Amino acid sequence: MTTVSEGLLPRRAPGAAPDAPAPPVLSLRDVRIGDRAGDREIVRGVSFELAPGRAVGIVGESGSGKTLTCRAALGILPAHFEVTGGSIEIDGTDIATLNPARWRALRGTTISAVFQDPASYLNPSIRVGAQIAEAVRAKKGLRRREAHRRAVELLRTVRLRDPELVHGSYPHELSGGMLQRVLIAAAIAAGPRILVADEATTALDVTVQAEILDMLAELRERTGLALVVVSHDPAVVARLCDEVLVLREGEVVEQGPTHAVLHDPRHEYTRLLIAEHEQYGLDRFRTTGEDT
Amino acid sequence: MTTTAAPVALTPRRGLAAARARHTAGRVLAALVRSVAIIVPVFLVATFVTFALRALSGLSPARIQLGEEATPEAIARVEAQWGLDRPFLVQYGDWLDGILHGQLGTSWANGADISTLIGLGLGVSLSVATLALLIGVVVGFMLGTVAALRSTTWIDRAITGFVTVISVMPAFVVGIVLVVVFAVGLHWFPSGGYVPAEQGVGPWLAHITLPAVALSFDVIADVARQLRAGLVAAYRENYVTGAVVRGLSPRRIFFGHVLRNGLGPTLATLGLKFPALVGASVVTEWIFGLQGFGRFANDAAQAGDVPAVQGVLVVSIVLVVSFNLIVNLVLARVTPAAQRGV
Ligand SMILES: Nc1ncnc2c1ncn2[C@@H]1O[C@H](COP(=O)(O)OP(=O)(O)O)[C@@H](O)[C@H]1O
Ligand SMILES: [Mg+2]
Repeated sequence: MTTVSEGLLPRRAPGAAPDAPAPPVLSLRDVRIGDRAGDREIVRGVSFELAPGRAVGIVGESGSGKTLTCRAALGILPAHFEVTGGSIEIDGTDIATLNPARWRALRGTTISAVFQDPASYLNPSIRVGAQIAEAVRAKKGLRRREAHRRAVELLRTVRLRDPELVHGSYPHELSGGMLQRVLIAAAIAAGPRILVADEATTALDVTVQAEILDMLAELRERTGLALVVVSHDPAVVARLCDEVLVLREGEVVEQGPTHAVLHDPRHEYTRLLIAEHEQYGLDRFRTTGEDT
Repeated sequence: MTTTAAPVALTPRRGLAAARARHTAGRVLAALVRSVAIIVPVFLVATFVTFALRALSGLSPARIQLGEEATPEAIARVEAQWGLDRPFLVQYGDWLDGILHGQLGTSWANGADISTLIGLGLGVSLSVATLALLIGVVVGFMLGTVAALRSTTWIDRAITGFVTVISVMPAFVVGIVLVVVFAVGLHWFPSGGYVPAEQGVGPWLAHITLPAVALSFDVIADVARQLRAGLVAAYRENYVTGAVVRGLSPRRIFFGHVLRNGLGPTLATLGLKFPALVGASVVTEWIFGLQGFGRFANDAAQAGDVPAVQGVLVVSIVLVVSFNLIVNLVLARVTPAAQRGV
């Protein structure tokens, strides 16, 4: 946790003793999300605090409201949805006070995100390197040549072999795992403090999934990046997170330190979730996850 | 498990950059080669059919020159003068050779050089069509973009309504209204005739503006509708969310991502639009008293002047083919993904 930053991302974690709690970069307090038109409340009371260099996980079956919670924190709720109660603070700023320009300033540099189906989140007609360089130029004011160099560096940071070659490729020329790395590189291009990973490894095969999770863990340790890791698979969260929330139908049924919740689940629903994913290698993830 | 890649040596890196530049050039070149591979056979077949027109129609210069009561000997003499007694393929070869050198032959009606006549008419029609295209693209682009950016608001509905109205207005009605209001009534523009650009850009523009506006309505409607649909669809794509999450500005998202992907269908229709405009100019040429390509084509057909009609067809083929070629190359440059998709 105290390794010297290699300068790829500015180390933002305060150099204080590991025990002294740093102020949270992201905090959700009793967040409720509802349909704008009606009475339907889809997310009912999600709360957590995320300090620099920490990782919080959200698990729950499909449709439980994980993505809506993430989108609320990113200010990109789908039309007809809104935060109906509670508050979200990014780096001490209540997002309810943000106008579009201030949102734009926060996104990319303070909070960023990657999602499932990485190919669709990249422009099909633009080389991936140019898309990363674009983020660098827009957010960091680098010139074309420097931005290109930085983009290649970022591709190396996400452990892509032959970053120069990837830089010049179109999205359809890359595999799913490579695309997710590219998407992560674009997301961290402007050195954000929070990265939301919503089912980022879901569609990938187990080996690639593990590699990407390890890469994220390393990024977190080295740069103090705070992670929100969302998955329907408890194993993914077990590998990365300090704290976990178990969501069912928009409600948090269990929340606490990862090892406690996943090794000794109190709630029937959590037990079911874990049992369901046992066969996908939670045990393997558990042991390797605890070594770090 | 992947480890951090070893630093790439400088020479291969340069090599890669060069390869990438070649890749872009290569993509456009490939589109060019592909297009030419289609164009050449199309051109050959189309010109052959065009040339066969005389044989199919049974028309002869002798009829035009000697009238209906000519003796068979006189007809044979005249046809020999025009070289029509030679074998069909020899005539075709000769004719094709002339075309490739820009020679479209001699009019049966008045012995004038067809290339020159068509050149004059085409100058008029291309001026009008180009201006119409320009107006259509600019206005249609603005309307389509605003409608897409404000989609589902009253602005979008107002633009969509306006576009629907102008798309159903026939060019000849618009032309007549424009003449009555802006030429005859307000005297802002001449009511007809043509002045070549060499005699002054101002008068040239004054003469082609109203016909161009009359023709442009159709283009405005097409461009606005296509572009709106393309942009609205592109805005729904995940890569827009991706760009938003990276904190990019709306302007950058529009020009860098949405427009680039939403433009394809609009560009493709424009490829067909320009030749159609030249054709549609026939109507406006009558209303505005222009001696354009359409008038020439009409006169040639009425007179049974086969070489002149063949010239018209050849020029039309060249117009259609070259405009499609241009659009294909632009598409290859702008949206490489669209090309690969096919
Ligand atoms: N764009 C949307 N339009 C309508 N309903 C939605 C939309 N996104 C999510 N929902 C609804 O909100 C609920 C929670 O969805 P989501 O947050 O995507 O779940 P999860 O990510 O946990 O699978 C679901 O019941 C879903 O039907
Ligand atoms: Mg989801």
